Amino acid sequence: MFNREGPFAAPPQFKVMRTVFLAAAIGLLLAACQRAEIEAGKEVYSLNKPDYFPDIAYPMATNPITKAGFELGKKLFNDPRLSLDNSIACSNCHVKAVAFTDPQHNPSVGIFEQSGSRNAPMIANMAFQSEFLWNGGVSHLDFVPVFAIENEKEMGETLADVIRKLNRTDDYPPLFKKAFPKIDTITSPYMLKALSQYMLLLVSDNSKYDQSVRGELQLTAEEAAGLDIFNRKCANCHSGALFTNHDFLNNGLDSVFEDEGRALISETDDDLGKFKVPGLRNVTLTAPYMHDGRFKTLQQVLNHYRSGVKDAPTLAPELKKNGQLGIPLTDDEVEKLILFLETLTDYDFVSNPVF
Amino acid sequence: MKKFLFAVVAFSIAFSISSCKKDTAETGPGAIDIEFDNIAVVDGIQRQLSLVTPGSASYTYQNGMGQDFNINLLRYYISNIKLEGPNGELFEDHVHVDVSGTEGIYLVDESDLSTGVINLEDVPAGQYNKITFTVGVDEDGVQEGAAGGVLDPATCHMFWNWNSGYIAMKFEGQSPVSNGGTSGGETVDGTSPNGIVYHVGGWRDMPGTAFVKNNKTLTFGFDTNARVEKGLQPRVHMVFDVLSLFKGQNMIDFTGNHNVHKPVDGQPVAENIPAAFAFDHVHQ
Repeated sequence: MFNREGPFAAPPQFKVMRTVFLAAAIGLLLAACQRAEIEAGKEVYSLNKPDYFPDIAYPMATNPITKAGFELGKKLFNDPRLSLDNSIACSNCHVKAVAFTDPQHNPSVGIFEQSGSRNAPMIANMAFQSEFLWNGGVSHLDFVPVFAIENEKEMGETLADVIRKLNRTDDYPPLFKKAFPKIDTITSPYMLKALSQYMLLLVSDNSKYDQSVRGELQLTAEEAAGLDIFNRKCANCHSGALFTNHDFLNNGLDSVFEDEGRALISETDDDLGKFKVPGLRNVTLTAPYMHDGRFKTLQQVLNHYRSGVKDAPTLAPELKKNGQLGIPLTDDEVEKLILFLETLTDYDFVSNPVF
Repeated sequence: MKKFLFAVVAFSIAFSISSCKKDTAETGPGAIDIEFDNIAVVDGIQRQLSLVTPGSASYTYQNGMGQDFNINLLRYYISNIKLEGPNGELFEDHVHVDVSGTEGIYLVDESDLSTGVINLEDVPAGQYNKITFTVGVDEDGVQEGAAGGVLDPATCHMFWNWNSGYIAMKFEGQSPVSNGGTSGGETVDGTSPNGIVYHVGGWRDMPGTAFVKNNKTLTFGFDTNARVEKGLQPRVHMVFDVLSLFKGQNMIDFTGNHNVHKPVDGQPVAENIPAAFAFDHVHQ
């Protein structure tokens, strides 16, 4: 199905429609340079969902992905002009090399050296999710960048000013025209659609674990043992192909909540201290961990689950079975779990030059 | 001469009858205007609304608790307009939201009176005596994602970025009893000593949670029919009494809940919205 040989193996999520140069394209495929074929092929990119992934949640028909739109989104994502003082791009806190998270800062730093209150979450497999941010306040991918751009501590800019700035540049108007031929002036919905096109194609589906699911290789005995422990002790919440049940849960970090989490959105005490269950793909790359980035290593995370869980009325029931706080894990189990979690790292994803 | 006049009159009558018949037989869809007129009802009398310059200490209005206030800004969305008639007439305004623009959702802004007149085209000929509309933008409008026109989040000044969705109704002003300290206002900020800010929104109702849908869908009957046919353009005149936002089902106290941005906080004002709208008359 996918050509994975060679240093420029294509991202599997690109299925480039090609009508011309078919023979040449086959030649290119054989030459293992599918990236070049993306350049030569028709200007349409499509999202290719692995069959074991959840359904695509994004309304794709509202935003057909094109090469020009995707590349415009990528440029915007990396452009600090989207912030108030032209200093912070999306990619400042969502760094590709670490699966679009922030390895440097805890929590991430926005304009004027301000620290936010939350840990920059991974941007990957966004097409399969319908609630965003740690508290789920944003219900559509298009609107995620609005939050970051307008947040005083992140990019601190108004959407209206960003649009004014983009219209005044030399480079953006022709790129928008190329991506969206009908428009003469840049408006915010087009900018947001372009950013979504970029984020939608950021699909991470080629970890060692994925390859084992597809029968392309086998996990080692220890990794498989880790998977077995994971399925018994973690997969209630970190379930499915994205390793999240998409729920909002209190995982026992605190008894008193400085950050109310989901309750800020749902406005009910039943959600105090609950945060989105994060997916675990690329988890070895995405430190620090938790909504506030309080843990630096997976060892610390697992130690929290076996001995650090704090009780609260909203604590996830999985973390208090039979009146016992936490998840019982032996040292050996922790070691194997970490070996398994390492199989979730998708090196193709973080090194893909197209992204 | 008399004969001639008679002939002319007879001919005219005959012509008008026949042309009437012809019209009815052939009449195509027509247009109708829905006007939303923002007013203040003081002592039972409808008065034209007047906006003040932000920060003004000149107070024209009182809420249900007798607290003075004035108004800098009033803006709300009207969507999903439906007209019905006594003979089964039905017109549903097409709602279409996408990146290039928005149809069927209207933003009424008191600072631009032309926005208060919604022109509906291609309305099937007939008699109409009932209107239904929603104040606010429902789920379909939000979940379409980034949209243009009156929903453009950069220009509409009605978008909540932290709890994505559109404010249904935005009100800002001053009251001498408010101790200020408001946030997120367009015309009033934290330094305004007497600001009052009501951003009423919320499009999600989730059973078992406090998620509140504050959009209101309202229906009004007309006392006379609005006749729609080709060449006619009747106008349905609706009024919105701003003072009723702050009384009625819930008394709104400007000394307390005067900085409203969350759905739950806005619920008491939202519950006053239905009684603040009224049908006034039809201009045929």
